[in-house]
Amino acid sequence: MDILAQLIVSGISVGMIYGVIAFGYQLTFATSKTLNFGQGEALMLGALVGLTTINFLIATGMGTLLAFILMLPIVLIFGMMQGAVVEFLGVRQAMRTKSEAGWIMATIALGIIFKNLAENFWGRDALRFPSPLPEQALSVGAVRIQPMEIAILLGALGLMIAVEVFNRKSIYGKAVVATALDRDAAGLMGIDTRLVITFSYALSSMSAAFAGVLVAPITLTGAAMGGALGLKAFAVAIIGGLSSGYGVVVGGMILGITENLTGYYISTGYKDVPGLLLLLLVLSVKPAGLFGSTAIKKV
Amino acid sequence: MLKVENLIAGYGKVQVLHGISLDVADGALVTLIGSNGAGKTTTLRALSGMIAPSQGTIMLGQQGAGSQSVQLENITGLPAHQITRRGVAHSPEGRRVFATLPVEDNLLLGAFPRFTGSRPIGQPAADLERMYDLFPRLRERRRQLAGTLSGGEQQMLAMARALMLNPAVLMLDEPSMGLAPKLVSEVFATIARLKESKITMLLVEQFAAAALEVADFGYVLENGRISASGPAEKLRNDPAVQAAYLGAAH
Repeated sequence: MDILAQLIVSGISVGMIYGVIAFGYQLTFATSKTLNFGQGEALMLGALVGLTTINFLIATGMGTLLAFILMLPIVLIFGMMQGAVVEFLGVRQAMRTKSEAGWIMATIALGIIFKNLAENFWGRDALRFPSPLPEQALSVGAVRIQPMEIAILLGALGLMIAVEVFNRKSIYGKAVVATALDRDAAGLMGIDTRLVITFSYALSSMSAAFAGVLVAPITLTGAAMGGALGLKAFAVAIIGGLSSGYGVVVGGMILGITENLTGYYISTGYKDVPGLLLLLLVLSVKPAGLFGSTAIKKV
Repeated sequence: MLKVENLIAGYGKVQVLHGISLDVADGALVTLIGSNGAGKTTTLRALSGMIAPSQGTIMLGQQGAGSQSVQLENITGLPAHQITRRGVAHSPEGRRVFATLPVEDNLLLGAFPRFTGSRPIGQPAADLERMYDLFPRLRERRRQLAGTLSGGEQQMLAMARALMLNPAVLMLDEPSMGLAPKLVSEVFATIARLKESKITMLLVEQFAAAALEVADFGYVLENGRISASGPAEKLRNDPAVQAAYLGAAH
């Protein structure tokens, strides 16, 4: 029973990471019906830029926690710029020519390019990311929790709530929502919907970069870290629903927890199977996702 | 004011408008009537930048600040958001309200260029109140999602949302479409009220009789061309227009 609780608790924090990346998929899908398939690479770049920044700050004699906090805005801004570049190079052209699939290949290609760049910049080896919080696990009853896992949970929820509040309360956020609901009508409101789409890509990559520096201290950091995370988060986006905000949180947790349970009770070799089976099941039974409203394309 | 000359537009390779010229004078209510598929909606879409015209010019005239002179600006081919920011409000066919946003957010979005500084801000809160006075149903339902409103209420919301721009020209596309007869007369009563407050309007209507009743000037659109034009009263009494658009009951 204690082990079960332990597996669930540590599954939640991994799941929240999936959730944040999947949230990024939702942001661009809402406004443009396109996704950045290089989302995992956005996470990886965020983590590596964060690593270089935090190491630089620590080298100036700063404490790790302070260095981590000061690093955050730099990583977030970098993530926004990286997302804007992806939109500009990979998506805008495909959307202008009304290409159905051009953006898929273009964002995958950009992801590969980013990965190659990272390999040349930071090398192919996995690097250690300094943990801003004590690595000593806390004991809650029989369950042991790393402080960083709590930070992941709070950081992930905080980011999603911040975006939600922005969308609901500010006129610019309402403009984003309007663009997602009806792009033509939003244009008639005087909203530059192309800029909104660029912005949603910026916000999407920013979320991924943020997830990158959250997860980096409890995993290994390197050019190869993004691929699997991006793909699993895509499964989460499909399971939870590309149009449902809280769906990705629940979907992320489902995947994180089932992975942990399978890894322990069956075999780590089959860790990825139940999540992907769930993905296939959702696709055949409720293609809009467990919590999504119909996003199925009418043909 | 709007001055349109020889406008040619369409969708892809299909040309719908074959050279349309029309004028909307300041403070006037001009109506564009015609049967289904004549190109009425396409005309408005080309004027507001939803589609790019392939030929012709669209000039938008605005009173220069404090002076009597009218500043004419060529807005042909600008994207929709740029045209809106210059003061052309378009209440589109099918209303197109933002269904999962509250009524009040829909109205605030209508004033978006005023909040972002591309149009004079004025007093959005006071204008919101004015809209609620003009359409009391919207005040009752201000917190409700726009998608839960009835067709008539959504039409009022679409009109109010367009008015929130403080537009130089208000373009209404078939405000009576799909409404019960009682609501149709309500919509036209509202248009008459707006006319009294000297708002420049271009009204597209299939309901030609009612449109010519309220308008100052009318254009008849037929297969993408203007087939007749003149003061509304004259068009009302034109036997050809009567036969084609007003029912032959006279």
